[in-house]
Amino acid sequence: MTAESSHETGTGEPPRVAATISVDHVSKWFGSVVAVNDVSLEIYPGITGLLGPNGAGKTTLMHLMAGLAEPSRGRAELLGEPARGNVRLYGRLGVMAEHESVYGFFTGKEFVEFSARLHGLNPLDQAVDKAIASVGLRDAQDRPLRTYSRGMRQRMRLAATLVHDPEVLILDEPLNGTDPRQRIEFENQMRRLAADGRTILISSHILEEVEALADRILLMVSGKLAAAGDFRAIREKLDERPYKVRIVTGDQRAMGAALIRLDEVDSVAIDADAIVVLSSNVRALQRSVPRLAQQLGIRLLRVEPLDESLESVFSYVVGR
Amino acid sequence: MRPLLGLSLRQLLGRRRLLLLLLLSALPVAVAGIIAGFAEEADSEGFVNGLLDGMIVGAILPIVTMALATSAFGDEIEDRTLSYLVLKPLPRWRIVVPKLMASIIVSGPLIIAGGVGATVIAFEAGVQPALAVAAALAVGVIAYASIFTWAGLVTTRALGFALVYVILWEGVIGSFLTGIRYLSVRGYALGILHGLDDESFEAVAERAIELPAAVGGAAAVTLAFALLTVRRLRRMDVP
Repeated sequence: MTAESSHETGTGEPPRVAATISVDHVSKWFGSVVAVNDVSLEIYPGITGLLGPNGAGKTTLMHLMAGLAEPSRGRAELLGEPARGNVRLYGRLGVMAEHESVYGFFTGKEFVEFSARLHGLNPLDQAVDKAIASVGLRDAQDRPLRTYSRGMRQRMRLAATLVHDPEVLILDEPLNGTDPRQRIEFENQMRRLAADGRTILISSHILEEVEALADRILLMVSGKLAAAGDFRAIREKLDERPYKVRIVTGDQRAMGAALIRLDEVDSVAIDADAIVVLSSNVRALQRSVPRLAQQLGIRLLRVEPLDESLESVFSYVVGR
Repeated sequence: MRPLLGLSLRQLLGRRRLLLLLLLSALPVAVAGIIAGFAEEADSEGFVNGLLDGMIVGAILPIVTMALATSAFGDEIEDRTLSYLVLKPLPRWRIVVPKLMASIIVSGPLIIAGGVGATVIAFEAGVQPALAVAAALAVGVIAYASIFTWAGLVTTRALGFALVYVILWEGVIGSFLTGIRYLSVRGYALGILHGLDDESFEAVAERAIELPAAVGGAAAVTLAFALLTVRRLRRMDVP
């Protein structure tokens, strides 16, 4: 599962088609800070999730793939051509950067039209209408972008990214600021595009965002590619790891003594305020804790995971 | 290039600082009005040295152009919108040229109107000196815009760079090293001013370089910095 320096396909299976994005031993450092450290990977048509905590180097890696930054070492290719200094490629690539800034004085429609014009689309009306309709913002298209909510701005940025119908999409945290309904629409849209044979790379620092969408996952931690492959395999690995759960009850001692007898509990630590349980089967623990409290007549005041952060999840995967 | 020119003009015209620059550009006209009102007879030498060279060419021309041209790319970098422009299948010069043109289109009329207005009022000038002032300032705007557009892309402290260039290079060093005139936009502007009307602007004769050298120098500087800007845009890491 871990990827040291070998080429990862990102699929877990032998590829049947040529890679659309290929990164070969790429590193990028800024002064003494190493943002991307000797990463090699290939990305194929379909949806690939680039997952990692904030500061893992996802954005820098995407910039290198899009030719926006010069690798300190190594080589990034897009559609079989060098990504850097190759402006013709941008006609086939759509990039949505992480920052959410826009030209606030543009209306939504002007913004998408601006993008279409710079892509040389002619005629552009149909493409602009289609892109705006695809993100469901026709009603708001004549309002200035500065009046948009964060989620709307993200969607209109997506429309501007899609207007020239690119073969490859690199989307950096595209779901920031979107609500659950918009998220579902976004997922459906991405699936449609992927079904048309496009290559879509979506980054996120939230596991669940990518889980629903991507069939292949690249995990990045501290500038390195920590794991790559089929989502289910990674998810199972994550489920195997022991979780720390903090439980606060009316009677810590009695509850602690009962918890240690459960199969799903590996260890119990009790202090004055709370019980800290280490469990390899957190799903079973979720069911048994309330049942146990009820049986013993102990008030359950609080149950919270202690290390749900992605950093701890990733450090587990990297450590394997 | 039209959509990019349109965008750049909207960016430059939409900022509050434009009002400040408008007032600054109108300042020489006000000063000229005061001089004309109080002076008993026209002091052409005083006007040329003090107001035209000292204030308009030496200060207002670089300051107004600097404020607008450094922000042509500087604002895109600061607002993190530059990637919208560079991620397009356009040769980089087609991004640089409209940015440069927008800076010239916005700052040119302000500076030229102020300069020509002041000349006409204080100098009781005819058509020829007015045209000479307009041409000198136009060339100055174009050359400065090219230098400062580059500076805005190269450093986030472009205004600081621009001030050091104008004050140190053109002001202090240029005042005792005469050769600097051939490598300074102020030198080019004075050369054109004197070259087009040596009679009216006799006062700057000692500081003015030859007309062909002024025109050629300004063209070379403009082209060189435009090319440097294109090169920078190609090679930089876009935030």
